[in-house]
Amino acid sequence: MDTGELKRQWVGKTFDTVSFEIEAETMLQFALACGEELPRYTDPEDPDFQAVPNYTSCFHGTRTLPEGFPMNMEESFDGGKCVEWKAPIRAGDTITAQSHLHDVYEKTGRSGGMVFIVHRMQFTNQNQKLVAVVDWKMIRKTG
Amino acid sequence: MILDLHSHSTVSDDGRAKVENYCQWIKRKEIPIDGFVLTEHRLYDDASDYRSLEDQFGLLILKASEVETEYGHVLVFGVTQELQAAFNFSQINLSLATVLEESERCGGIAVPCHPGRPRVGMCAHIGTRGEVEGVRTIETLNGGSRGNENEQAASLAARKGYARIGGSDSHIVSHIGRCATRLHAEVRDMNELVASLKEGGCEAVKLEDRAWIPES
Repeated sequence: MDTGELKRQWVGKTFDTVSFEIEAETMLQFALACGEELPRYTDPEDPDFQAVPNYTSCFHGTRTLPEGFPMNMEESFDGGKCVEWKAPIRAGDTITAQSHLHDVYEKTGRSGGMVFIVHRMQFTNQNQKLVAVVDWKMIRKTG
Repeated sequence: MILDLHSHSTVSDDGRAKVENYCQWIKRKEIPIDGFVLTEHRLYDDASDYRSLEDQFGLLILKASEVETEYGHVLVFGVTQELQAAFNFSQINLSLATVLEESERCGGIAVPCHPGRPRVGMCAHIGTRGEVEGVRTIETLNGGSRGNENEQAASLAARKGYARIGGSDSHIVSHIGRCATRLHAEVRDMNELVASLKEGGCEAVKLEDRAWIPES
């Protein structure tokens, strides 16, 4: 497997686009599940009511990898998500998420070799304002 | 002079610490350290400039790299553009001999790190790949080591007569300065650090009860 070639061929190309309607009740339940207590996250009547910063981590597209991606990731494991907050998400917003592969790289650790596939979702609102970027790492052991 | 010679910032893929937060932590916790070296994984961070943080916090902040070879991970101090052109820092199967030779040729020094660590430490590969020529210094105290990994490294250093350094290998703020290196000379920049390491004017130390203790 040549990760350099994978990177050249697959990184940076949008392969999935989905839209979500943002509802106050769902925002509230997510905030409470996170243990939030600030009114701007837990009180829909608060004038600054908005989604908690990591809210976009719960959204998924229609596919994990581009069609035809040559690496079998069925035996991969979840390397976690990194959420970069850009702007508030409000109740009633329409959020569009576009997915592309952001990076493919290898590393070695005490447990052996690994390939990292970084799936990036960029979230914009109905005003085309970027509200969040979520990087999801998928890790496959190679030895 | 005490420097932590092995640390990672958010520039590394698995680093979770901002450099400013390292500085704040060192000052807040009064860690008796003069500075640290950012040894980012598989790259050299050309872009970042930490001079304002150095001035603000009174710390020396230097940049180096941690690359991956068939003998495990290696810290490279004194990275230049010429050295970056000599081999691909992002590859995980670099030749240790090449990293050692090219680093020397370009005025730097390569130091195998956490040599006692399974798979990514030099000790694990000497048995199958043979002894390594050209190593003069290894990291014998690593803040991320488990079990007897540091002891294995110290045994290797004793057997081969290597000079020794220490580093926290911190990826999160609270780990900075767990281990460090006492330099016999004052260093103000990377060139002076490389010169000090090449002279062997260094020893690995660990922080216990707010004092630096030589490795046992």
